[in-house]
Parts: sequence; structure tokens; C-alpha cells
Amino acid sequence: MKRIQKIMTTVATACLMVGNVLAQEPINGLTIIENVYNRAQPQDQQGVLTMSLINSRNEERVREIRQFIKDDQTVKKKIMFFLSPADVRNTSFMNWSYSEDGREDDQWIYLPALKRTKRISSEGKSDYFMGSDFTYDDLGDRRPAEDVHKLVREESINGIACYVVESTPRDDEYMYSKTITWIDKEKWIGVKKEFYDEDGHHLKTLTVTESKKIGNYWMITHSEMHNLQKSHRTRMLLKDITVDQGISDSQFSERMMMRGL
Amino acid sequence: MKYIVIFLLCAFVYTQAQPNISGMVRNYTALRLQDDPEFAMLQNTFRLDFEKKSGKGAFVTNLYAYQYGTDVVPEIRIKQLFADVYFNSLDFRLGRQQIIWGKADGVFITDVVSPKDLREFLLPDFTEIREGIDALNTSVYAGNHTFSLVLSPAFRPTTQPEDGSIWKPEMDLPVNTVRIDTTRQDVPLKLSNSEAFFRWSAMLSAVDFEIVGAWMWDDEPALHLNKLGHPTSSGFVLDSLVISPEYHRLAMGGGAFSTTLKGLVLKGEAGYYYGKMFRTSDPNYSDGIVEGNYFHYMAGVSYTLAGIDLHGQFIQKIILDHDDFFLDEQYQNMITVLIHKSVLRETLHLDLFSYIGLNDADALIRPTVAYDISDGLKATLGANIFLGDSGYFGQFDDNDMVYVKLSYSF
Repeated sequence: MKRIQKIMTTVATACLMVGNVLAQEPINGLTIIENVYNRAQPQDQQGVLTMSLINSRNEERVREIRQFIKDDQTVKKKIMFFLSPADVRNTSFMNWSYSEDGREDDQWIYLPALKRTKRISSEGKSDYFMGSDFTYDDLGDRRPAEDVHKLVREESINGIACYVVESTPRDDEYMYSKTITWIDKEKWIGVKKEFYDEDGHHLKTLTVTESKKIGNYWMITHSEMHNLQKSHRTRMLLKDITVDQGISDSQFSERMMMRGL
Repeated sequence: MKYIVIFLLCAFVYTQAQPNISGMVRNYTALRLQDDPEFAMLQNTFRLDFEKKSGKGAFVTNLYAYQYGTDVVPEIRIKQLFADVYFNSLDFRLGRQQIIWGKADGVFITDVVSPKDLREFLLPDFTEIREGIDALNTSVYAGNHTFSLVLSPAFRPTTQPEDGSIWKPEMDLPVNTVRIDTTRQDVPLKLSNSEAFFRWSAMLSAVDFEIVGAWMWDDEPALHLNKLGHPTSSGFVLDSLVISPEYHRLAMGGGAFSTTLKGLVLKGEAGYYYGKMFRTSDPNYSDGIVEGNYFHYMAGVSYTLAGIDLHGQFIQKIILDHDDFFLDEQYQNMITVLIHKSVLRETLHLDLFSYIGLNDADALIRPTVAYDISDGLKATLGANIFLGDSGYFGQFDDNDMVYVKLSYSF
């Protein structure tokens, strides 16, 4: 009996030692990206998104969108109503994104000129959203498993201590050959991201200029995407944000797309 | 007087409701390509939209003022003027409204509610081709399903090109002496002459679909013939013809769907029409009209390749119980192709839309280049090229044109 107790004590001690060793192991790239991906998010949110498209001559075009988002962990629904410019006013766009691996998003657009809702393909992730420097993929939540992540260093940006993670896509056909992200160690949000094109050249840099705590959640409110190869930029400003207001499922429907705001 | 009433209405709406006001100003100049080119269109358009919305309802108007050539007085058209009332799972819309059904682009299969303005053939923007109808539109919502019932007490037919218009189809008549008798073409404003349309639509993850039904008037009149002549020893000799346009009841049932598959958008639409009046040369039908049924369907696909949007549709119309006397062919086949590309951060839009008639080897080719000069200000350069000698598009082979549109939205 004493022999059995001794063996069990030895095994338990060994397990504790292994656990301690694991706990002390430095954090890796995948864990960092998963922490960002799994950061607490509101069940629903709404706000007004202003996109300023600035060309190489510093001429500016402004698009304003009111968006509603609801996430029940299995499906994330987003509906956007275009407020300006005048020629796209009352256009709406809806996206249903699924947590299930491999399942494509469902997307619809309502064009007031056609007065009907059209289903569109969600395959065009590399298309630029409304002529901005953000692709549809840039605006979505890319799953950590889609890339290989490597922690390359730790450094501070504007006094913010960051992890710097290089992410290389598993899919060779992906539009970027790699991205490098600076992640705030405290808030688990990205503060800067560099995008490299298929030839490995630096294409774009995303800089987060402001993030705010709305309710219990850290959210990016000001950001700018700079396309270095074409010398144009897109500033994105999110305002009038409310979270966890209990937005009804019926908000994400053909009825609302057609009715508008 | 009409303009004063509309002005006062606009002023009243603005002062009472302080609605959102938007609109568009546009110049449209088209040059018909022929030996001595002439202006096919000199049009200035002013669109004014009033919108007042709340969680309980809405009030919407879309007014169009078209000024043509050297005309001083513009033509005013009210495309929409309606009020909405919203409940939890129920909406009512009462008034003049444009209602668009179906999944097909550029063709009308189950899209039968709003009549069309075909005075300029199929060339205007589609929102301007559709006329509003005066109706009560009731919609009930259950999850992602919508059930709509549209009741329209006043039949409003498709507006046809006027006599002398370059878009008036030529009729192949056996005599030169023809009189048009319009006494039969009115549909009195009676309850029994109402139209009813039903639609069940759903927007689901796997598929969007709609099932529709209609008890309506055919938007296009049947042209009943009265042949006047005298008997001779060699038979009946035709002296003159009286054509009596008359609208007839038509029933339709059908449906449409769209879904995605590996980057493709697949869609289909079909309608079965019961009680259509067809033209016939059968001597047993002295007025040249025979009643029949037909089936009309579309199969389409869309795909984006290297940033270029590609859309194709095949459309077929099949007349059932067809015989050799029918003036229309039993199978009428057409395809449409749309190629679209936006460049320069979506400020330059390149489009090529084509209707291709397979029966008569005719086509309408519509290339356009549109540039967003600034937000709301857009310049469009385009052409309408008709190919073929006969057929729905080939009959307008002399109407090839280039055009410029400059529009400002506010």
C-alpha cells in the first residue's frame, strides 16, 4: 500500500513539475493571436462608420455608414446602411458569417435603384470595400488557424508595449504573403499591422490611432490604412457606438434592408 | 394647375414633416447614328425625393420632372407617393408604389406588378422604366419569410411608344387603310376590375426564393382586327382594317430562386401565364386573336473573375398549344450578358450589357463608361447598338446611338 502511495505521490509531483515548466514557457505567436481573436466582444453593437478615402493629391471622398452587428457565437450578422454620398444613399449590405470552419459567408445587397435585394457571392474577400484601402477580408475576423504565427519580437509603439507577430497564410493563394501585427500586451488589440503583397513587397500599413473602452469592451475607433504602393489612404472613424442593447434578430432581414433607416 | 398643386403639396410636406430631401439633376443627350445624325434625345431630368420615416411608419414620394428638347413645360411623373404603417410583424403600404419582383436582370418574367414605360424602349434606367401602381401592399413577416398581398383597384397599363416615335414597332399590315378604334381599351374603375398579386419570399442561408401568383390585366393590349372588304368572284378582297386595342385578364403563377456555390451565384425564375391573347392568322379567328398559355423562364449565373463581374442569363418563352397560324414563334430564346469592372477606387465603371436574340440573330449591345467626378457628380458615355434586320431588337437597327449623361445626386 505504501508502495502505491509513493508511486502516486511521485506521479503527482512529476505532473506539477511539468505543469510549472509549461506555465513558464514563453507565450507564442498563436496564443497571442488567439487572445486577440477571443477577446471579449459585445453580443451586439451599433455605430456610425465614416470612411475618408484620400488620394495621392490629398483629395478626400467621404462615405458614411450606419452598421448593426449581432454575434451569437455561431453566426455573426452585420447589416450596413449607406448614408452618404447621395448616389448610394439607402443602399444596404448584409453579411452572415459563420463560426463553422469552411462555411462561406452569406451576403446580400439592396440597391434602391433596382428596389430589390440581391444575393452576392462572398468569395471576393480580396475586393476592396467601397473603393477604400480595406479589403472585405481586412474588415472581417480572420480565424487564427488560417495562418502560421510567429512571435518575432517585443517592442513599444508610442509607449504601448507590444508583441510583434508575423503571420503567414497556410493558403498559398491568399492575397497577402504575410502580415506583421503589433499587439497591445494589455488590451489584446492590434495597434499596427503591415501587409505584404504576393511578391513579398510591403503593400499597406494599418495604424490604429484610437481605441476606447465601450462598456466592458476595448474597441478600435480611429484607424488609417495607408497603401504605400499607390500612395493613397483610408481613414476609418467609428462613432456613436452602443453595445449590448439587445438588437432583435429581425434587424438582420430583407425587410430592414429594404426599409432602410 | 397640376404643377401648382404639386408645388403646394411639396411645400406642405416640407413644412409639416420636415422630411429628408434628396434628388438628382441629369442631362441626357443622345445622338442617333445615321447619314445625317440627329438628336434622338435631349432630356433634362429633375428628381425630387421626400422621405419621412419613424419606427411606426413612413411617408415617401419620388417625383420626376422631364423636360424634352425645346419644350418649356416639363412632364411631371409621380413614380411613388405612399405611406407606410409598421407593426411588429406586419406592414401596410398604401399609395403609388414601384414593386419589383423576381431575380432576372433586364427581363420581366414574374416581375409583373409595376407596369413599364416603354416609350424609349428598354433604354432608360430600370427604376425609371417601372411605373408606380396605386395599391395597398400588405406584408406579414415570420422569421426570414415574408408574405405579401398587393391589391390594386386601378389598372395601369404599360406605356407604349407614341405614333411617330422611333421606338414604335412597325406592324406588317396587308392594307394601307387602317383605323385605330380605342373604344374598347378602357378598363373601368370597378372593384371587379381590380388586380391582386401574392408573393411568399424567403431569404435563408442556403437559398433565397419566392413563390408568386397574380390575377391581373395583361399590361399590353391585344390588337383585335376587324377586316373590312367586299366579296369578289375570286374571294374576299380586303379594303381596310380596324384595329381595336383591348386589355384582357391574365393569370400567372411562378417563382424564383438564387443561391451560391463555390463563388458562383446561381439563379432561376419561371412563370406560367394563363389566358394570354396571341396574334394568329387562323381564318377561324376573324379578329386575329387566339387565347393561349405560355411558359417563361430564366436560368442565370454570376461569377467574378480577376475582379471582373460576369453575369449571364438564358431566357426562353414557350407558347403551349402552338400552331402554324401563330404569328409569334413557339420557342423564343434570348441570352443576356453583363460584364462589369470598376477601377480607380471604384470611380471609373466599365459596363457591357447585351441582349442577344437567338431566334432572329439580333442584339442590343450597350457599352458604357461612367466616371464619378466627385461624390454625387457622375458623367456617363455610352452607346446603344442594335444588330440584325428583324426581331425584337433588330427592328430598331436604324436607331444606333451614342449618348452622354451628366448627373448630380444630392
